Amino acid sequence: MSKVKVIPCSGIGKVFGLMARESALKVTNELKPNETETVCLAHIVTGDEDSKSKIEGFPCITIDGCPKLCAAKNAELAGGIVKMQYRTVDEMRNHRGVDAGTATALTPDGWKVVDELCEKICEKVDDILKEEK
Amino acid sequence: MADLKIGVLSCSGEECLGGTISRLATRKMLEELRPGQTVTLCLPLYLAGGEEERFFAKAFPVITVDGCSKCCAKRATEKYSGKVSDIVDVSEILGNDVALDKTVSTKDMTSQHMEMVDKVAKVICEKFDKIAENK
Ligand code: SF4
Ligand code: SF4
Repeated sequence: MSKVKVIPCSGIGKVFGLMARESALKVTNELKPNETETVCLAHIVTGDEDSKSKIEGFPCITIDGCPKLCAAKNAELAGGIVKMQYRTVDEMRNHRGVDAGTATALTPDGWKVVDELCEKICEKVDDILKEEK
Repeated sequence: MADLKIGVLSCSGEECLGGTISRLATRKMLEELRPGQTVTLCLPLYLAGGEEERFFAKAFPVITVDGCSKCCAKRATEKYSGKVSDIVDVSEILGNDVALDKTVSTKDMTSQHMEMVDKVAKVICEKFDKIAENK
């Protein structure tokens, strides 16, 4: 069984990029380490063959900070099969007025939003793996 | 010179500790060490964005900050935007074993990790000031 690739944009300017990054790290390192893994997005951007081979033809879940969808677009360009795209900016719409932190560190409220998103991602991982069987 | 802006671009790699250090050292430049003079860009915008993003290395002198010797930020910048002025490779500063160690979340950063960030940020500062002096 191949692992589902969970790829965040890790945007550097705003909190949304860090939320995407932390969600991916939490899913791949803590919640679903045997079923998922992440890939350096900047390596995919270089177009190197060895980075491409890590995602080409594999199911991917992308987590972007904003509508520019950098992770989703770059994963698709490299041949990844993007099964689901998340945008942390959308997750924040359900938490209006909440201070999630900065691109350097999340607040406890920011972590709550990340935790909620991680639950959704984990459910999606399970769905994808069922489909693949 | 007072208006000089210098680009600091991190790979923010997700697969290893070096990527997290590159990102946090870059954030430190933006927030604490050279605020107002440091500019940055979300690296994957070279492909997902437009002309404006690809103009970055022509508009500013750029220091790339990479987590490991693959130097993705440097190579992506030179492929899509323009020549970089200097590079920082976390693995050269902290060693390969540290750079390629398991990645950490910001919530699990220890004081040792923060010292690593400071060490890398210091090197970025030195390179930053050298570029600023020569402008
Ligand atoms: S999706 Fe938005 S936040 Fe994420 S890297 Fe791209 S521009 Fe930055
Ligand atoms: S330089 Fe290393 S840590 Fe950074 S994105 Fe590339 S492979 Fe990942």
